[in-house]
Amino acid sequence: MTKKFWIGLALVFGIALGGVFYQKFIKSPRCAYDGSAIPFIYEVDIVLKDHSTSKFCSVYCAVHWFKNNIQLIDHVVVTDEIRGNKIDSYMAYFVESELITNETNDNRIHVFQQRQDALTHAEKFHGMMVDDPFILDE
Amino acid sequence: MIVNIYTLIMLFVAFLSLFLGGYLFYAALKMFLCCEPGIPFETKSKFEQKGYLVFLLACVILSVRMLAWPWFYFMLQSFVSEVPGAMCMFGVTRILPSTVTFLQIIKPISFFMMGGWLLCYYVDKSIPTTPLARKNLFFLLIVCSVLLADSIADISYVFRMKPLMSVSCCATFFDVPLRPSAMIPQAIFGRHFQKSLFVAYYLVNIILIVLLFVPLSKKWLSLASLPKKIILSSQAVIGIINIPVVIYAFIENIIPRLMQLPYHHCIYCFMGNGMVPDAPVILGLYVIGTFAIGWMGILRLFCMTTETHDVAERLFVKINGLSVFCLFASVMMVTIHLLFT
Repeated sequence: MTKKFWIGLALVFGIALGGVFYQKFIKSPRCAYDGSAIPFIYEVDIVLKDHSTSKFCSVYCAVHWFKNNIQLIDHVVVTDEIRGNKIDSYMAYFVESELITNETNDNRIHVFQQRQDALTHAEKFHGMMVDDPFILDE
Repeated sequence: MIVNIYTLIMLFVAFLSLFLGGYLFYAALKMFLCCEPGIPFETKSKFEQKGYLVFLLACVILSVRMLAWPWFYFMLQSFVSEVPGAMCMFGVTRILPSTVTFLQIIKPISFFMMGGWLLCYYVDKSIPTTPLARKNLFFLLIVCSVLLADSIADISYVFRMKPLMSVSCCATFFDVPLRPSAMIPQAIFGRHFQKSLFVAYYLVNIILIVLLFVPLSKKWLSLASLPKKIILSSQAVIGIINIPVVIYAFIENIIPRLMQLPYHHCIYCFMGNGMVPDAPVILGLYVIGTFAIGWMGILRLFCMTTETHDVAERLFVKINGLSVFCLFASVMMVTIHLLFT
């Protein structure tokens, strides 16, 4: 084993640790389903039974993750598109319309805190009210 | 065409390598046809003087051209924001898919061949009589053909690339239950293939690293010819087996864990989205480690004559060391990420 070999390995070790450090402490949170950036007004937070939170960029990603981890989930917090308020999913109104929130996954489900906002959106963008996709079986 | 610094540099390199590569092909062909194997030493020396410029030109073009492979992915990454619906490079590859597929296949092939040629040229140049000149010229003709095809494809792709259509997210391809990367390992290892694939990744890599360590040991010189041949052949065979094992293990196991996205298997997100900042280093080390095994094969195939034996053997040891280092470092980096993230 030459000196170069060990220096190289030490360098690679440092790069790997740097990568881990970045992932753990510096990286801004990304969608836990597909890793994309999270727009604030479409953010969905899934709170797990161990009190940790997974953040998602759209209802589409959150639903896919939700289906696979239903037994771990405590509750789901969604964001009102109009005011940006965080609300429990069972209190929100969901509308599926022609307006796409995220072009990469074609998410068309919109979240509103007020029923009137949901109805206005549905009328404006040819949509309809849909059930809460995050219903947990008791 | 999308105009940015990446496409401009790509076009510059492609045009440069197209024109110089075209001239190189012509000059190499002319020299190859003029250079008879049994020509007298005086004429051979004259030919070598003429050929010096051609070989120098080849070294410059091939070295620059080798960088076009990583640069291609930088360019694809730069297109992500321009293509509607694209989340990563996968979305970009949905536009002109056949050209991108061709480029993604030819670029590693040309990188491998160019690296092999440069090593053969190094061996030939180290001997005053340049005994491999004719072989190198023949090899250069093949390399030039690949280089020209690669350059033409690059130019065609950059000029025809127009982000006019909306593309789908990588999740619709990489994360569906019937994805090919899951079906093939499932057919081999059964339903719970992920664990077996993970074990296979470590097992095959460790065996390969151990086999690559053997020629570096002091006992190697005292070994008989047959065990040497067996070890070298095993290196090549396991190196080839390691390619699909690593690809499937990465897509199915390692990438989701390293990105901390258990349901996302996209290799393009892993490479370019910055979620694992050292991902290009991990992949690059693996690629060089694997290609180095192939380059050793090329050296054995082309450069093991009585005259060049000593030089080739010394270079062989160096490349072997490079291969061991790169593969070991790649596995080590993956392990560190798996342990700490």
